[in-house]
Amino acid sequence: AEVDETLKRIQAHKGVIATMIINAEGIPIRTTLDNSTTVQYAGLLCQLTTKARSTVRDIDPQNDLTFLRIRSKKHEVMVAPDKEYLLVVIQNPCE
Amino acid sequence: AAMLADGSAPGAAVPSLWRSGRSLRCEAKSCQTGKISTAEAAVQSQTSQDASVQTDQSIDAAQAFQQEVQVDYASLLLFLQRVEDVVIKELNKNWTSRAFDGFEVNWTDQNEAVLCLHTLSYPEAQDQHLQVTSISWNATGSVLACSYGRLSDGDWSTEKSYVCTWNLDRRGLDPKHPDLVVDVPSSVLCLAFHPSQPSLIAGGLFSGEVVVWDTSRREDPLIWRTGLTDDTHTDPVYQVSWLPDAKHRNHFQLLSASTDGKVLVWREERDGRLALAEGFALVAQQIPRSAQLKKLTWGEAAVGVTSLSFSHFDPRVFIVGVEGGYSLKCSMAAETPALHRTGSSVSLRAPAELAFSPHGGPVYSVSCSPFHRQVLNLFLSCGTDGQVHLNSMLQTQPLLSLQLSKKYLFCVRWSPVRPLVFAAASGEGNQKCFCFTGDVHLFDFAKSSQKPAVSIKQAAAECPVYCLEFNIKQTQLLAAGDATGTVRVWQLSSDFTEQGPREMTHLEQLASETTD
Repeated sequence: AEVDETLKRIQAHKGVIATMIINAEGIPIRTTLDNSTTVQYAGLLCQLTTKARSTVRDIDPQNDLTFLRIRSKKHEVMVAPDKEYLLVVIQNPCE
Repeated sequence: AAMLADGSAPGAAVPSLWRSGRSLRCEAKSCQTGKISTAEAAVQSQTSQDASVQTDQSIDAAQAFQQEVQVDYASLLLFLQRVEDVVIKELNKNWTSRAFDGFEVNWTDQNEAVLCLHTLSYPEAQDQHLQVTSISWNATGSVLACSYGRLSDGDWSTEKSYVCTWNLDRRGLDPKHPDLVVDVPSSVLCLAFHPSQPSLIAGGLFSGEVVVWDTSRREDPLIWRTGLTDDTHTDPVYQVSWLPDAKHRNHFQLLSASTDGKVLVWREERDGRLALAEGFALVAQQIPRSAQLKKLTWGEAAVGVTSLSFSHFDPRVFIVGVEGGYSLKCSMAAETPALHRTGSSVSLRAPAELAFSPHGGPVYSVSCSPFHRQVLNLFLSCGTDGQVHLNSMLQTQPLLSLQLSKKYLFCVRWSPVRPLVFAAASGEGNQKCFCFTGDVHLFDFAKSSQKPAVSIKQAAAECPVYCLEFNIKQTQLLAAGDATGTVRVWQLSSDFTEQGPREMTHLEQLASETTD
């Protein structure tokens, strides 16, 4: 439905390798990668997002996490967090 | 005389009592023994506990994804609408950002130069002027084994040789004193450690036998051997390899290749014997000829296999290098029977599918790249003409031909971490009248595609380097064995051990440039 269309738009962007949506319990709902990799990403990123969020709020309780980007040698992982879901996009930057 | 007379005595008949005995009834009136008192003091059965399970590792626990997850599509849609713009903005920014250009982080200590970490040797073998014929790292990457023998012999030799192992992670490592020395009655020409069991090592002998040793057994490490039967090779075995078994993922079969043209697969049987499971034979008439190859005279002889390498992507495809100077692409799924003369218990098949453009002399080593995707499937081959050919399995002409030097090349290996790096070992052949120093060349296609990035001199003396192996677990280590009987372990500089960005794409580009 519209959900799939939105995901297709994101996936079609330049350099995007993979897209996935994970729910609050760490269960992947939509993904473009294989099962085992998705489950691995889901578990690890959920934990990291929680940790990042608590870091931000510990420093300033009025603040909150809006976006998380992890840049590595090979690509960049972008996490858009929310109360119920997590959107993860993996992009291979231009260089 | 009257006292002795013939007479007959009537026999005595005893009537049988068993029928009547059965009808008697007995009754216990009284016992003479007193009542014995018993009590439960100890039980012999023990409590049990599950310690380990023998089933194979399950693939993964992706069941969570398979479950029907209750998804509220309405709220999901709202969420996506909220974040979509943000994400697209970030994606665009990232694509055009120059912020990280040239920014590199060093997590580990940078090694600037190539260092020789260890120089290992076995003095007894060196006294007998034996050469290091093969080396192998074990599954954990901490034990290095080398085999002593002689590569330059033409005659049948019956001299003993040794297989020595050193555990490099142990304190108190004595470079002149191996942890384990196995005496072998014939020259060992090749070694291969088991890919998952760190103590099993297979060796191929000059006599054509294939044996397996267990290095954890001190008294008698030999656990399996093929023996000398009709099935075994009739020529020296130049390569042994462990093959994952198609049916049982954790079992491995042993494969051996020899100059008698046969590639045989062995399975373990009882009593320490290795029995032939399947086999392939290469005969000159069955080699597929490509229209692009020059017309070569093909004899009827068997085609001697000197090296073998499996493709990392299709486990049934392998490349062999032969004495005639060409490499062949073979498949284990081949069905046609081989025109091999000598009988054997299992019918041999002809595996060759494609013949690649030849070298100027026998091919001593082939190596399939562990990195390239199915489309490319690159492999390297080197031989006595001093050239290294970079070939794609899809075409007969090499993509790149590098003339390293006038020296023979004995071994070529891809780096397990950097898709663009390979190492080649060279030396002089014994027909030459002057000696060159043995060198190990490291090529880096990213720097230059014609000259070696680093040339490592193996020794001050003049001796060829016969074998080299990268350590898959500790990727900065490279071991090389030479003709004086020394094995050197080199620590490579960080240039060679860290994958730069986009190396894969660079190599694909290189490959496609040259095919056009």
